[in-house]
Amino acid sequence: MGKDGYIDTFKYFLLPFCLFVFGLFALMLAVYFSASIPIFKHEGLKIYTTNAWIASENPNKEFYGVLAAIYGSVYTSVLAVLIALPLSISFAVFVIDYAPKRIKEPLIVATDVMAGLPTIIYGIWGAFVLVPLLKKYVMDPLYAHLSFIPLFSFKPVTGYSYLSAGVLLGIMVTPFASAIIREAYRSLPFMYREAIYSLGATRYEATKILIKQIKPAIVAGLLLAFGRAIGETVAVSLVIGNTFNISPSLFAPGYTISSLIANQFGNAFIYKYMVSALFAAGLSLFFIGLAVNILGILILRRYGHGR
Amino acid sequence: MVDSLKVRLFKEKLFLAGIAVLTVSTVLPLFHIMFSIAANGVPVLIKGGWGFITGTLAPPGGGLGGIGPAIVGTFILTVLASLMGLPVAVLTGIYAAEYPNSLIGRATKTLLMVMMEFPTILVGLFVMDIVVIPMGSYSAIAGALSLAIVMMPYVAVYTDEALRNIPQKYREGAFALGLTRFKVVFRVLIGLARKGIMTGILIGIAKVAGETAPLLFTAGGATRVYFAGLNRPVGAIPLLIYQLVQQPYTNYHEIAWGASLLLMLIFLAIFLPIRLSLKEVKL
Repeated sequence: MGKDGYIDTFKYFLLPFCLFVFGLFALMLAVYFSASIPIFKHEGLKIYTTNAWIASENPNKEFYGVLAAIYGSVYTSVLAVLIALPLSISFAVFVIDYAPKRIKEPLIVATDVMAGLPTIIYGIWGAFVLVPLLKKYVMDPLYAHLSFIPLFSFKPVTGYSYLSAGVLLGIMVTPFASAIIREAYRSLPFMYREAIYSLGATRYEATKILIKQIKPAIVAGLLLAFGRAIGETVAVSLVIGNTFNISPSLFAPGYTISSLIANQFGNAFIYKYMVSALFAAGLSLFFIGLAVNILGILILRRYGHGR
Repeated sequence: MVDSLKVRLFKEKLFLAGIAVLTVSTVLPLFHIMFSIAANGVPVLIKGGWGFITGTLAPPGGGLGGIGPAIVGTFILTVLASLMGLPVAVLTGIYAAEYPNSLIGRATKTLLMVMMEFPTILVGLFVMDIVVIPMGSYSAIAGALSLAIVMMPYVAVYTDEALRNIPQKYREGAFALGLTRFKVVFRVLIGLARKGIMTGILIGIAKVAGETAPLLFTAGGATRVYFAGLNRPVGAIPLLIYQLVQQPYTNYHEIAWGASLLLMLIFLAIFLPIRLSLKEVKL
């Protein structure tokens, strides 16, 4: 089409809608930049490199640093991915190769339901059920016996902590990572399996070899899971404790970028710079999210597991 | 291999048992969640009765009242978001499918997939800046716009894939009849892809009906007034749950459980039929 002077009116009819979507995305980026400018002018890049939250009626005394939130976002999302890694790979392998036919489909449906379930449902369950469970059976015993290790050094007072957020996020993103890994694992040629088993391999050895073939899909699945975890808002903000804190301990409360925005935005307009500080925090999330997701999508495409 | 056969077979057993346990641990939380929501939510629905669905929120510490405004709000927001988002989504999806090798077509597909994974709180903040601040108030319009942006990429990606999955010969046949590209796409291909497109629309609706973060600073929430106009704040079930969980009152926690049960049932009612009629879905 488009040759010989032929004008593709269809294309020109649809094009505006595409451009509208691009425009919307560009506008979003522009809004985040322009709304962040006041805080950059006020304190420069210290907004990202310090941990402080001084709200004051006197604009000169106002000072914000969202390092604790960036730290918390990365910490909890890494925890989530560490939890999702063994679970999602095992699930994919088990469902494709070893699950009895009768439970195969129900298992996949169950994870699809999990992937789509409204996140606030995870939030209420996390706040009222998961946090008390983790506190009683994980945090309290570990603190009682192993508190000399920095990871376990914080006394779990409420149970709202990096660990609670990481575990909840891990549960939420595992089905999602698993779906990507499952697709790649399923698409491995059946010949590979025949060849491996004909050499006399056990099922453990065969799976080890097969998993190596889909490494890119695993990396991509975990990257996208990380992107999802870092962007999650309400479920995390209900279990993280919402405290400006940078601690190595799993049991300490903290903040994430999204929960900081969710929590502070309501009263931010009273202050001169707080709104801008929160937009700057959003800007950092914007770029982390963009980078992680584009990387994940590119890896999937490059290795032919593209969706 | 240096291990003896015995060791290798033992490792195999251990491995199979291991992945079976991990598989169960993957889905176990779902059942725990469903059980917790049902165990805490069902008594609330029974106690609250019909009034729980139609009434307005009780005062702190005093009974259950109802979550009527949130249910009305979720309905209004979802319908409005669909009206705003679906046309753009379907047409963008058609473009990506019809011009898959052009620069814009490929870029569009990538952008849609990026937007699908994009943190939804950022969408909410953006809409607040361009709609809520100029209007001076939270509003149904702002909430719906926010949800429309969240919904759009899902529907577009489904539309794109539904169209790509149509065998090439239908397209060739339609063109051979001398139809224009408009007619080929809108009369022939859309008809063939309607199941896939409908799936995308329903997935998009199920998604936004449960979204909380994009509504935090756009819809504003309402617990006593059902609907006061498109330029006034409205409630939403997820938003209400989020607000109630953070309150210290036991009766508010009960209402939150009841509302969660309703939300879960609404989600399952939309999602399960689609899922069971298909091989796989993308979320």
